[in-house]
Amino acid sequence: MAELLLDPNIRLWVFLPIVIITFLVGIVRHYVSIILSSQKKIELLQVQDSQVMIRARLLRENGKYLPRQSFAMRRHWFNNEETGYFKVQKRAATSQNPMTDPGMMTDMLKGNVTNVLPMIVIGGWINWMFSGFLTTKVPFPLTLRFKPMLQRGVELAYLDASWVSSASWYFLNVFGLRTIYALVLGENNAADQSKIMQEQMSGAAMAMPPDPKAAFKAEWEALEITEHKWALATIETDLLASFVEKEKTH
Amino acid sequence: MSVVKLKDNKPEPVAYSDAALRNNAVVVEYCRTSMAALSGSTAGVLGLTGLNGFAFYVFSVVVLWVMFMIKAGPNWHKYYVSRQSLLTSGFFGALFTYVLFWTFIYGMVHVY
Amino acid sequence: MADNYSELSFNEAKDLLRQWRENNERKSDEVLRVWSVIFEHGVKKLGNEKHLVLEQVFYAALDCHYYTVASYCSLMLQEEFPGSFRVARHVAALHEAQENYEEALNTLNNIIRLDETNAAARKRVVAILKAQGQIQAAIKELVDYLKKFMSDVEAWQELSELYLQVQEYARAAFCAEELLLHQPHNHLAHQRLADIRYTMGGVENMELAKLYYCKALKLNPENMRALLGLFLTTNNLLTHYKSSGNSGKRKEAWRLCQWAQAATARQTRARPEPNAAPLANAMLQLAITD
Repeated sequence: MAELLLDPNIRLWVFLPIVIITFLVGIVRHYVSIILSSQKKIELLQVQDSQVMIRARLLRENGKYLPRQSFAMRRHWFNNEETGYFKVQKRAATSQNPMTDPGMMTDMLKGNVTNVLPMIVIGGWINWMFSGFLTTKVPFPLTLRFKPMLQRGVELAYLDASWVSSASWYFLNVFGLRTIYALVLGENNAADQSKIMQEQMSGAAMAMPPDPKAAFKAEWEALEITEHKWALATIETDLLASFVEKEKTH
Repeated sequence: MSVVKLKDNKPEPVAYSDAALRNNAVVVEYCRTSMAALSGSTAGVLGLTGLNGFAFYVFSVVVLWVMFMIKAGPNWHKYYVSRQSLLTSGFFGALFTYVLFWTFIYGMVHVY
Repeated sequence: MADNYSELSFNEAKDLLRQWRENNERKSDEVLRVWSVIFEHGVKKLGNEKHLVLEQVFYAALDCHYYTVASYCSLMLQEEFPGSFRVARHVAALHEAQENYEEALNTLNNIIRLDETNAAARKRVVAILKAQGQIQAAIKELVDYLKKFMSDVEAWQELSELYLQVQEYARAAFCAEELLLHQPHNHLAHQRLADIRYTMGGVENMELAKLYYCKALKLNPENMRALLGLFLTTNNLLTHYKSSGNSGKRKEAWRLCQWAQAATARQTRARPEPNAAPLANAMLQLAITD
């Protein structure tokens, strides 16, 4: 396995530019998405639904701090057969079709413009511009399995797997720089392509607005089977005991 | 770093402030990324290869952890839930950054 | 930090303002003094922080009743963002500070009409009604608000306070319980509910007040108000049990009462403050000698 000698010009005109381009594209994309992002218009009903759900969940979790009567009163308000909130409120269980909502359409389009388009354009351009170079060598040995990953565009059967081709170096940068974006731009930035790709995988299920009717039903059931356990029943003795212990240790 | 712990009565479960905990995690993550980038560059300049480079990564993670402990002082439990998770969490995430910088600087300095 | 703000350089002033903004420090007086430094150098040089600083200075100016500065900031922002609800809220706040309540309400109602999910504007309406002294109207408005935004902790707290003002203790207690549901680890929430229960009176409420005071003390042993409250409730219960002859419960209350007294004395010794000393003495005077 002979050592290869690379032209130093490759370093200056391929290796370094790829890093810089990927980094700067990420930054630009962060700002472009800020410009394009539109404030989402929320429906009052949606807000109300989500807040009701929070309140019901809190009642389930922290209801033990209330006296039994107060707890029962609140549960009655939520769950009563005739007048309970979860019974009375009728929400249309329509699963909204994103294609019919023009606002949703523009949002999707904007997402594609900032996320997918630059990926394709820059990736294609890099592939075309810098194709066929070996750029660098990873400083540790790798098995042959990594060859297709690291040597995209260079089909040499006997080349050591440690060498990295220009196209692969670009992809390594795309995925490796995400933490650096977090460092430079702060958390939750839009430059992070890999996260967006993950979202696209599971995106279909996530983008759908949650069906309030089903959520109400689930919350109603959960609340129905919640038992009230009065958490303050033994607090007096606990209080005295804990301080007696502390006295002893001091 | 803000104080996380609200109360500590031995038999009771301990309550944590969620916002403060998250803030601390962000700060730790910030330090970890910086550490990975810096130590990766160092390894690249030094020209470490193979296992030496990974040993250097483990070494720098431990050094960072010791620095956290020195900074937090004896009452570290005020800021973090556990010391072990401070050492191990994000180990592989930062490893990726480390390898990238290591490869980059190594390529710049030693390959050509 | 000395108050020689006029000697700050432009960048120092900018950083100082940012620091206060990030830490949510009000410091209105200081903000205005720093603002004069920045103003001399020109607002344009602030770059992309310009609008945030303008807003910060705007609220600081309202606090200090410098309405010219406030309206200057407000106009600058209006020019930049003519259709923004946030800027419209500034206009309302300016009217409100100058006590033009009608105009302020008009502006706020406009915002709510255009964006019915604007929680801040709705709460501001309640605040204006409260400032006008229309407590009943404020309560009504706040109840309407809470029907839509049920998990707004601060709104529940405010409603509780308003009910206390009109002495509807049962409803205030309901709101305080809601507060407790949201923050079960906050000793002040427990103490607030206990205070209300104690005020309501009656054996059952006293028992509850006692339990909540205990919980508050468990969460924070240094809560003086809860200590005093526990002492008073147990005292009250003692007199009740004395007459009804429930010796088991009476003994328990007696122990708690003693403990509260001892704990107060201990804390007074631990923290010699000028105000703390009389409290223990006052409690001693109140105590039932048995």
